[in-house]
Amino acid sequence: MAQSATRIRTGRAPGAPHPIGQPLAALWSMRWVAVALGIVGWFVYYPILNNFLVSTTQQDIFTGEVTQVGLENYRRLASDPVVATAMWNNTAYALLSILFQVFGAFWLAAIIEGLQSDRWRAIWRAVYFIPSAISTTVTGLLFYFIYQPQIGILDGLMTGMGLGHLSRVWLGDSTTAIYAIIAMSQWQGFGYSTLLFSVAIQKIPQELFDAARMDGAGPLRQIWAITLPMTREMTGMMIIVTVTGAFQVFNEVMVMTAGGPNNSSQVLGTWLFEQGFNQNDMGYAAAIGSLVFGVTMLCGVAQLWYTRRRRVEA
Amino acid sequence: MTMTMALPSRSRPFWPAMLRGMLWAFLFAMGVLVLYPLLWMALGGFKSNSQIFSDPFALPASWSLENYLAGWRATRGYMLSSLLVTLVSTLTTVMISAWTAFGLTRTAIPGKPLVVGFILGGMMLSPTVALVPLVRMLQDLGIYDSHAALILLYTAFRVPFTTFLIRAYMLDLPRDLDEAAMMDGASPGQIFRKVILPLCQPILISCVVLHILFAWNEYLFAMIFTNSPGVQTLPVGLTSMMSKQGTNFAAVFAAMTISALPIVIIFFLTQRYFIRGLTQGIGK
Amino acid sequence: MKRSLMAAILAMTTTLAGSAMAQTLVADPAAEVKHEGTLKVMTKFGMQRLAPYFTDLAKAYEAAHPGVTIELIQEDDDSVKGKTKTLVASNAMPDIFFSWTGTWGGNFVRGSRAVDLTPVIGPGTEWGGKLASAAVDAFVYDGKNYGIPLYLDAKFMGYSKPAFAKAGVEVPTDLDGLLTACDKLRAAGYTPISIGNKEPWVGVHYVGQLLAYNVPREVLEKDFNPATATYDDPGYVAALEQFGQIAKRCTVGAAMNGISYQTAIQELSDGKAAMYYQEIIEFDSAASATTALKPEEFGFFRLPAPSGAKGDPEALEGAPEGYMISTASGNVPLALDFMRFVTSPENGKILSSPPYGQPSAVIGGADPVTMNPAVVGGLEDIARASYLIQWLDTVNHPKVAAAWLAGIQAYAGGDMSAEDVVASVRAAAEAAK
Repeated sequence: MAQSATRIRTGRAPGAPHPIGQPLAALWSMRWVAVALGIVGWFVYYPILNNFLVSTTQQDIFTGEVTQVGLENYRRLASDPVVATAMWNNTAYALLSILFQVFGAFWLAAIIEGLQSDRWRAIWRAVYFIPSAISTTVTGLLFYFIYQPQIGILDGLMTGMGLGHLSRVWLGDSTTAIYAIIAMSQWQGFGYSTLLFSVAIQKIPQELFDAARMDGAGPLRQIWAITLPMTREMTGMMIIVTVTGAFQVFNEVMVMTAGGPNNSSQVLGTWLFEQGFNQNDMGYAAAIGSLVFGVTMLCGVAQLWYTRRRRVEA
Repeated sequence: MTMTMALPSRSRPFWPAMLRGMLWAFLFAMGVLVLYPLLWMALGGFKSNSQIFSDPFALPASWSLENYLAGWRATRGYMLSSLLVTLVSTLTTVMISAWTAFGLTRTAIPGKPLVVGFILGGMMLSPTVALVPLVRMLQDLGIYDSHAALILLYTAFRVPFTTFLIRAYMLDLPRDLDEAAMMDGASPGQIFRKVILPLCQPILISCVVLHILFAWNEYLFAMIFTNSPGVQTLPVGLTSMMSKQGTNFAAVFAAMTISALPIVIIFFLTQRYFIRGLTQGIGK
Repeated sequence: MKRSLMAAILAMTTTLAGSAMAQTLVADPAAEVKHEGTLKVMTKFGMQRLAPYFTDLAKAYEAAHPGVTIELIQEDDDSVKGKTKTLVASNAMPDIFFSWTGTWGGNFVRGSRAVDLTPVIGPGTEWGGKLASAAVDAFVYDGKNYGIPLYLDAKFMGYSKPAFAKAGVEVPTDLDGLLTACDKLRAAGYTPISIGNKEPWVGVHYVGQLLAYNVPREVLEKDFNPATATYDDPGYVAALEQFGQIAKRCTVGAAMNGISYQTAIQELSDGKAAMYYQEIIEFDSAASATTALKPEEFGFFRLPAPSGAKGDPEALEGAPEGYMISTASGNVPLALDFMRFVTSPENGKILSSPPYGQPSAVIGGADPVTMNPAVVGGLEDIARASYLIQWLDTVNHPKVAAAWLAGIQAYAGGDMSAEDVVASVRAAAEAAK
């Protein structure tokens, strides 16, 4: 890591063909990055900047009127009860995903990597990963069916286990809908992070475990004293990536409940869609977009800070 | 640094025998939890519609392919769109990223740290935020509701991440070879094509696989920027198929299975590259 | 800032009131039709089953007028909204385009994007006289006609005749009768009414019909307009509570919020449920040759009115769907000529019959011989209705519609009281003013 960092700073083509003093040559050397700069600037940065402009207007596509309303949309944001629900739902998404997809996955990876058979380790990693490869539309629809009272298998399963009295219409009940969606998401995503933790664990030198064993440490003690600290970097990154992802959730909510019942499962992404594209209120939708921007930016800064600090420590 | 997948030898069992039985049972239970719903979906495609309702747990009464054929007919068009968008955007994304990564690691560019920051910074920006202005932009460009819109957006939003992966790999490549080529009078373009690109093959394959996974499954852009049946990709097409012939659940199950199958197969065929891409992307 | 917002609201209400900012184009009945050029038509018949209707018409029209080319943009129920907004935003509206009644159509009027058709299709005109007048009236905004209705749609309770026979139940004539029938059907082992309210407009359709029974028409129409809405009639709460009774005694109750409407139709088709509240254009799919419930076993009746309610017991929930002419069209007379052709009695008959089964809005556009008998019956019933109340989710301002949709879902799920739902609708209307 430290090595790459130094390389960036000194990285220059051997012989440095174009001294920066020659403007034409400098311009010509930009050909390598011009396409990327252009397409990323045009389709990623520009619309995101533009979003802030749109968020201070009220637009009506049918009349074509655009009215400047200043911070009115942001004031509405602060008093919109559905935004509060959505913020909480996104937060719950993040917290539960950290619990299952970071800590749960860590333990699962530790268990798998403690197996003796190479083949079985590979098999479990691959099997658990399968749902992550499948589109969230498919898994969302699948769980939508699984949760259905008539054809779903969850109710049948619960009745079979004597838990029939706990059964309910998971997606139709405003107290459980978002959690049913989050549960699907854990099912889909835990294999992905398990795989990443597995790889991180494999990079730990075996001698460390051997030495610990010599000292009489049991497996749990070894995981606690070696595996956990040695995968701390991965854990930190995973937490940040998971939180960022949790605030961009859209697909599964759209497919499974579209935010219902009674907006109880709205997340910021679906509420933005509902406002902008169903209720024809693009200005307000853009303000919701700014909120998403704020949260994901915080995560991004956290990530940068974390990487920097790690580099310094390394 | 290429990742070695060779594992340290495990001469002695890590888990004590007492615990091992329990752990195996646990791993097995998790395996069932993952696979059973998928199996249920695939089997649902063989059942009749009324059997899905009356007998959700049972095996299909007959193994007729009728629903799968219906599912295939209903998704064929979306599959074609997905294929086109995925192939073209994979090509553009990986080409542009490799080209950019070379520029960023092997050539002198004025203000390089800024350029690096600008391009890689794109990774932190969320597609959700760009949604509202993009509607207008794409309409003004006249490519709203077209494959071109998706290809452009998939490329633009994935170039930062892909460049990041390839750049990291190129930084770790030894410089002797391109220096030697330089001595022989090769131009930067030749060095890129003849020396660096072949050396980068493993990471390029990883990037291709990761991009395929992304583009095949992407939903947000596809849902908002396309609405004609001939343009919609699979993830969106499946939901409109649901609303169009929603009462034929068996065909919906079959269509879901059909659309998941290619990507699962690709995953199994390319696991090695895939894992490398993922770990480099997040672990660095 | 505040002032600019006020200005926007003022501008909007004045446009609504008819003093349009951009001038509206008025159709000229005397204009000469030149049969040359290209017409772009955006339909809502993109579904495989319906698509050939316009394709065939376009071919026939082109054959009759060799100078004309018809370009079809065929969308379906889902995609037409997005496509329309795109085309509007990029100022590329086709010459002829599909529209719902209510707020959706009002958008085009407000934005001066639809041609004022009063001189050609309004009261006393020859063309207007050939179409069902209730359907023509549904496209009237501020006293002017903007739409050409193509077919009618309305909501009826479809039922399984064998289930009713087995439970010893007659077709109920009032709401209490329906509730008692439900008890008997449940005892006979049926789900009395299958309902899936995952898509929240399902519950909204029940409430819409009940509102027509409980709230006088003038009050309803006053409240549909955010500027004059008060939502203080006691009939609103009464209608919601009646829906609550139906939900409790006839359906799965709160569980409806987790069920998709397609699953619910399937229950009727499979013979497990005795009734399903549906649109006339769904009759053909609820009972067909391939479902357990056969077409001859399928019957329908209006959602029974509560006895002694304050509204109109003869009102029916439903709305026509039709087409508008774009003000950006370069050839309005030709566009009108094509729509005259589409609404000829012969083409109306084709539309009313299988496989299309969309009851034509053209007088004489229905031929009982070729049509599904249930659709014929439904059509006759629509003609008897004293008032067609439009769907609550399309007649209202989008914000008000959203409040109804979310509120009724919450009410069905037991999260909100009837009073709270009405209060939330009132608040939404206030905010939309």
